[in-house]
Amino acid sequence: MSNILAKSQNENIQKAGECGGAVTSILKYLLDEEIVDGVLTLTPINDVYDATPTFITESEDLLNAAGSYHCAPTMIGDLVQKYLFDKKVAITVKPCDMRAIDELITRHKINEDNIYVIGLNCGGTVSPVSGRKMIDLFYDANPDDVVSEEIDKGKFIIELADGSEEAVKIHDLEEEGYGRRDNCQRCDVKIPRNANIACGNWGAEDGWTFIEINDEKGQELIDGAKKAGILETKSPSQDAIDARSKVENIMINMAKKVQDATYPSVNEMDEWSRCIGCYACRDVCPICWCFENCELNKSYFKIETKMPPSPIAFQGVRLSHMSFSCVDCGQCDDVCPMDIPVSLIFDKLQKKYYNRTGYVAGLSDNIKPPLYSPEKTEL
Amino acid sequence: MLEIKHTLCPSCSVGCGLNVIVNNGEIVGTFPYKRHPVNAGKNCLNGRKSIDSYQNRIEKAIISKSETDVEKAMNEVLKELNGVDNSEVTVICSGNNDIEAIEALIKFSESKNYNIAFYADNLKDFSEVASYDEIASAEKVFVIGDLLYENPLIGRRIVHAKQNGAKIYALGKTEKSVTFNIADETSNSTVQEFLENNQGNIDSSSVIVFNYVDSQEDLDKIESLNCKFLPVFSKSNSKGALSIIDVKSSDEMLELLESTKVLLVFNDDIVDELDFDFGKISKIISFSPFSNKTTEISDIIVPTKSWLEKDGTFVNAMGETQKFTAVVESDVLSEIEIIEKLNG
Repeated sequence: MSNILAKSQNENIQKAGECGGAVTSILKYLLDEEIVDGVLTLTPINDVYDATPTFITESEDLLNAAGSYHCAPTMIGDLVQKYLFDKKVAITVKPCDMRAIDELITRHKINEDNIYVIGLNCGGTVSPVSGRKMIDLFYDANPDDVVSEEIDKGKFIIELADGSEEAVKIHDLEEEGYGRRDNCQRCDVKIPRNANIACGNWGAEDGWTFIEINDEKGQELIDGAKKAGILETKSPSQDAIDARSKVENIMINMAKKVQDATYPSVNEMDEWSRCIGCYACRDVCPICWCFENCELNKSYFKIETKMPPSPIAFQGVRLSHMSFSCVDCGQCDDVCPMDIPVSLIFDKLQKKYYNRTGYVAGLSDNIKPPLYSPEKTEL
Repeated sequence: MLEIKHTLCPSCSVGCGLNVIVNNGEIVGTFPYKRHPVNAGKNCLNGRKSIDSYQNRIEKAIISKSETDVEKAMNEVLKELNGVDNSEVTVICSGNNDIEAIEALIKFSESKNYNIAFYADNLKDFSEVASYDEIASAEKVFVIGDLLYENPLIGRRIVHAKQNGAKIYALGKTEKSVTFNIADETSNSTVQEFLENNQGNIDSSSVIVFNYVDSQEDLDKIESLNCKFLPVFSKSNSKGALSIIDVKSSDEMLELLESTKVLLVFNDDIVDELDFDFGKISKIISFSPFSNKTTEISDIIVPTKSWLEKDGTFVNAMGETQKFTAVVESDVLSEIEIIEKLNG
């Protein structure tokens, strides 16, 4: 593993991208050299709160995707496995995306040889609807006027159309029930080091991206982009490496405090009493890949006819089957119509399992996931 | 090419956003639309399954159970319409139609002197209704129907109200329900009894949310109370339709059907909703994207564009106008194009 600072050699990308546009340049290199069929990354549809996974096949379209989108808490693992399995794809991933992909590779649902994984440091994401409300309440700005946002130095920073910026401490926002999503607040994986490269602003100089090269494929990516004349690199100073490490450790320590505060507070049966048995949490889970073969679809588990649904028949069974593999991406919380903190319940059990076995979902290389069934790989 | 496109959920009147995954021109799945202000990416099972109906859509016109082309079916429709007095023709529109289609249907019916009928769960329009935020911030919420289960994204606001300290009073038709699970007080009485029993508790800090009533008197009673209220309809654009067309009660609908010889049903399942002997009607003609109980007994079926294939406008339960655009291309006729053909 090695560290570099990198920036684009392309002026337009430098302007459109963040931290010198290194990520966009690497993606452009992969597309232009036809190393990949496409790039799956976030592109805003209507505004900065509306970034949506987009499959880009022409490198000129990458400029629309440049930038960071903290108000787009998406997950791309399931898109890759369901719709892009046979394609060569470059993907940009947060740590939870990467962990999900890692779990799916273990389950033979994603072909590792087909993907180039560009990791992005992540201090957390904000739900777009509550993010807009938060800006309305705590900033002297109209949420519609925000053209970009950033999380840096413990603040959520917005940039307005007139070029001005406003920043509020994330701690203060979270004290009021806003700020990052609950799962992000307790997430202790901030840099996706099982991606081919992990990129971000922590430790970087202005106008440069800090890149951790994590494996041979990552090194080839960087070497290729440099050779193609689109990427410039240099070595980071020890101070930069230390600064990156410091930011990461501060965020991990903050996350562990949140874990200690929230794990004991959740009462599973109370929360599950609102469950309407809509299966949204299962269906969005990137690790739950069985689809129609899911045992919970079998007649002996069907709960739709029973009113109200029995939480043990769905939530309990799913918890016992899947919690070991939870990557705490929070997608289940996001889609639950009843606001059940599903990921908190699952993550709490994952941590218990980790404490006994050392298994961390999406991070424990070369270990089969608990309850792994070879039979299901054939489905 | 893999694409994710925004649309609206057609499953009820809450007005949730829905992202549709389109792969190589085919609709293959849904994806959370987290930016949507109504549901923030949360969709119930009906919403997520709404695309299944598109995958099983009607693709061929049908005359007397046999497939035919659309032009032949439209000629047959014209023949049937010309064979009866205009006063014996009834046009059914519904909350499944978008605003543009309903406006065109009203104009069409008026120009031909056909009867036009619209039915909305035996509910009616109220000029002022509670917003979803007002439910969440109410001090007391009176819930008629299992809204947590049947209209979960309204149910979510009731949960928020509870979390904010509100007292929840729930009325339902079954002994147990999800709404009952979070309610402080529950009842299986009639709506009228429920309202009368709680009249002393209902004040300006209260909201009544309901998706059914037993009678028109219940609606009058609700309207007379000093509180906000929100009727939640079973169809996506019932509120929008109510704003532009007079609603009929179930009794009025039955009376009209008695004198109907040719029934034109535009994207509705009136057979499932009304207890009527539809065998009394000489010709039932359905213009529908999807199969349902009405198409099952229809003499002629003409496929129409679904909401996924066209641009349009719905108005949700709290009165917000919501535009949507086509997520896939289609050469199927829309309701408006069908009316143009019927007008010659």
